[in-house]
This record gives sequence, C-alpha cells and structure tokens, in this order.
Amino acid sequence: MRFRFTDEQLELRDAVRDLLANECPASVVRAAWEGDMSGPDKVWAGLCDMGVVGLMATEAHGGLGLSDLDLTLILTEVGRAAAPGPLVETAVVAVPLLEKIGGSVAETWVPRVAQGESRVAVGLPGESLVLDASGADLLLLWHGDALHAVDPAEVSITVETSVDRSRRGGRVAWEPGPQPLAVGEEGRRLLDAALERAALGTAAMLLGLGRHLLDVTVTYATDRHQFGVPIGSQQAIKHKLADVAVALAFAEPLVHRAAYSLARGPALVDESARETTAVHVSMAKAAAGDAAELAARHALQCHGAIGYSFEHDLHLWMKRVWALAAAYGDARMHRERIARAIL
Amino acid sequence: MNILVCVKQIPDPAGPQELNNDNTLKREGKLILDESDSYGVEIALQLRDTAGEGEVTLISMSPGEPSGLRTALAMGADKAIHVVDDTLHGADALSTAKVLAAAVQRAGDYTLVIAATESTDGYTGTVPAQLAEILGLPSVTFAKSIRVEGGKVHVDRQTEAGYDVVEADVPAVVTVTAGVVEPRYPSFKGIMAAKKKPLETLAVSDLGLDLSSWGQNIVSVEDAPSRAAGEKIEDDGEAYLKIVEFLEEQKVI
Repeated sequence: MRFRFTDEQLELRDAVRDLLANECPASVVRAAWEGDMSGPDKVWAGLCDMGVVGLMATEAHGGLGLSDLDLTLILTEVGRAAAPGPLVETAVVAVPLLEKIGGSVAETWVPRVAQGESRVAVGLPGESLVLDASGADLLLLWHGDALHAVDPAEVSITVETSVDRSRRGGRVAWEPGPQPLAVGEEGRRLLDAALERAALGTAAMLLGLGRHLLDVTVTYATDRHQFGVPIGSQQAIKHKLADVAVALAFAEPLVHRAAYSLARGPALVDESARETTAVHVSMAKAAAGDAAELAARHALQCHGAIGYSFEHDLHLWMKRVWALAAAYGDARMHRERIARAIL
Repeated sequence: MNILVCVKQIPDPAGPQELNNDNTLKREGKLILDESDSYGVEIALQLRDTAGEGEVTLISMSPGEPSGLRTALAMGADKAIHVVDDTLHGADALSTAKVLAAAVQRAGDYTLVIAATESTDGYTGTVPAQLAEILGLPSVTFAKSIRVEGGKVHVDRQTEAGYDVVEADVPAVVTVTAGVVEPRYPSFKGIMAAKKKPLETLAVSDLGLDLSSWGQNIVSVEDAPSRAAGEKIEDDGEAYLKIVEFLEEQKVI
C-alpha cells in the first residue's frame, strides 16, 4: 500500500496555493478585519470556480465526488494564507451533510453552494456562534438530535465579534420547526460526522497557519541582525523555532491519518471503527492546535516588539490560530476524549 | 477556429536560478508555464469559445516533464506538441524558431499562432518574429486585443502613445502583451481532465530537421553593476535649485 498523497492531490494543492498567493495576500485578510469583504468574496468565488467548495459534492450536483483526504492538503493551504471565510463549515461539513440528507434539499442547495450562488451556515452544538450566519441563504441547525433547515429570514441573528475580527459569528435566536431533516439515530449520526469533519478540517487549517507563522519567523530571524549576527543564530531563538518545526512535523501525519480514517466511509457506520476514527480526529485536532499555538507564541516572542503592533501582519495569523484552536473542541477536550476511549 | 499557442516551460523564477558551465540556465527540477504565456493561452481560449468551435493546440520546446504544458491544458487547451531533445541544449533564438515552425507545420490547419512578447527566462523577444518569417506569415506584435473576422485578424497593437489598429490576413503570428487579460486559474476538473488530453512528444529528427549546432553561444555572464552611491547635498536654502537642475539634465522637466 502506498501511503502518500497522489500526484493529483498534490496538483490540486498547488493550484489552490497559486490562487491564494495571488488573490489572498495579507492585505485581503487585514481588509476583512476592517469589514471590507470584497477581497474575501473574490477569494471565495475563486475557490468555488476552482471546485474547492464542491469538492465533496457528487458529480450529479456539479461536484467532484472526492473525499476528506483530498481536501486535507487544500485546507492546509487555505490556513497558510489565513483566507477568511467558512470553508470548513461549508465544503467539509455542510456539503457532505446535505448530500447525506439527499432528496430535494440536496438537489436544491448543493449545486448552488458549490458554485457560490448561495451560502450555507452550520450551527453545531457546543459552538455558541454560527459562523457567517448573517449573509447565509440557509442555516443548518441542530436541536438535540434533530437537524433543521432554517430560513435566515425567519430568525433573529446578532453578529458578534471574534478575537479574530475576520471571522463573523452570529448568535441565532430560533425555534425548531415541525419538520426536521433528520431526527433520532440518523440525526445523531449526521451530527457525529459533522463534528468529526469540522474538527479535522480545522486541524488541517491550523497546520497551515502554524507553518506560515514558522516560515515568516524564520525569515525574520534570518534578516534581523543584533550584535552583528542574525538573531536566528542565537540558541534562544533557534531552539524555539526548532521546537515549532518538530511540533508541526509531528502533528501533520496525525491530521493525514485522521483524514484517511474519515475518508474510508465505514468508519461512520461501524461502531468500533467509528470510535477509532474519533480517536484519530481528536489526536489530530489536539496536536495541530497545540503546534499552531506554540508557533503563534514563539513567533510573537521572536519578532519582539514589532510582533505586538497592530500594523504588523503577525497578529492576523496568531488570532486566527487562537480562534481555531478553541473551535470544535480545544486540545484539552480532545485529549479527554482520547483518554475515555483508550483507558 | 484552430489556434496554436507557443508556450515555454521555465524554471520557477521565484526560486534560485543557476547556470551550467556553458552559461546556459539550469533547467532541472519542475518546470512551470511561463507566466507571460498564460495571457496568450487565455486569449486563445476566449477566441475559441467565442467562435464556438475549433481547438487550441500548445506548441513547446523544452527539456524535462511537460508540467508547464499540463497547467495550460488544465486551463482548457485541447492538446499539445512538445519537442524534447537533448541535442537542443543551448539552442539560440533562431534555432528555437526553426523547431517551433516545424512543429507548427505538423499541427494541421490553423487560423492564428499566438505567442508571448518575450519569455521570462531568455528575454530575447525575437522568436515570434523569426517564426513568422520562417512560416511566411504576417507578424503582428504587442497585441492587447485580438478579433478574427472576414478572413482577417484585427489587432489593437499597444504603442507608447496608445494603440494602433492593425489588420492582417490569416493565418498570422500574433504576440500578446503581458497583463492584457486575466488568465483563468485551472479548475480541479480541468486539472483532472488535462491528464487525458493528447500530448505528442517529438524529437528533432521527427520534425525532419538537422539542428546540431548554431552560430550563437553565450560567451560570459556578468552580474549587473551594483548601484553607485548617490550624491549628498547640504541644504543651504538653495538645494532645491540643484534638484531642478538635475531633473532638467535628465529631461524629466
């Protein structure tokens, strides 16, 4: 068995990397902080045109019928660019969820979401806010084990500011309607799958964020001279950067393994396989979150005072790390889940 | 409408560039589609789609894997002819034009041959004109827009002052200025489909050419001279006059 990404998966990653290098420089992330969403909207349209958002949609719905495994490298690139937008919630959670529900709901929404004509927002239990709820054309919300499709026009949404101001969460006040999309065992299974996917997709993004923070810090430590030498030649700096490199290198295979487990569908049907997948996802999220947080902390310290300034781009990435490390279960919650499964 | 696009695969300009002992550029590792060619590919795709029929064929000469050609195929080009031959190492512009012309003649009927104004690694800017001469076709350069109508190609040709409106009989060779259109990004479907598109790999002998030597070799390569230190002027209240004098000397004002 060949446990490596295929040439095609690498090509898709490279295509996304090129798109984001041109369309999503730091200035676009910064503009999103100030409420100017024209840049992020263009990035979103580019990702839709390319086929990223519909990657997990079936071909009948204009997608590519690919899996979590194919999306993992792409999400890491999106994290590396700190591209704003609910890509995990849409491409990784909502699209497979709608496909699983099937019927007219999938037929109506999946093609439109994949092509960027409509936006869908997903509210998962445990998250107080629904990312990009305002501006969505459809809300997918759980009430206990019942999944509801909710028209945003019929609810009240209060936009809340995140520590990462390019992320816009909405507090949704709603009442469940009489006809849920799924209830009981089916609803719970869909929720389990959605939670695993959200955690894994976020872990893949955290890897990219951490990698970018390491890269810019290595560049800074090489360029910045003090006492006649680059600061990166001092052990106090280089050991910190080596620790970050090690943490990211150890987290990466865990993310890839979890993606592999999730992509092998039976994991979500068979009970013992489901537990194994859950452990893999938790290991990935805990390790990627820790590694990215370490990268953020050391990046800030190695940059010195300039890293603290609002005008420097470092904090755009750092605060995204803080937001994502806490989303869909922080490292502590995921470690507890691993402990429950293996002890 | 069948359109041929001459494209070049080059080492990534963002990476380190190294020279061989004979002063030619090292072309090892993954080659990418020259960005300046992506504009010609985009224009060709638009012309094909507007016409509603025909094919876009890529013509290229380079060593190595066709990784850059795959990018253009993923953008939507229909097929490619790739001339790969170790004997072409260090070929000069005229020899390159001869090879491309021979490849063009194998490509069947066509209305236009599109090329970039110049490549990002060689910058000779002469190959398209040489190609037109060898093929005996009209050569129109620096196009910012191209329209084919009534057996003629109509080109808005960029000049320093604005643009000229030029027309020529087809087939013709037209060079496209970088930045005149926004090249599309390859879609995932395009990337996956590109693998199945026809890609013909040819050697010089397949083209019926005998090209083992050429007149031009790179004798030496020198670094660009470093910037000389500027002149410092103490402002005694009249320094602006020196600035005015300098600008006048440079004919800026």
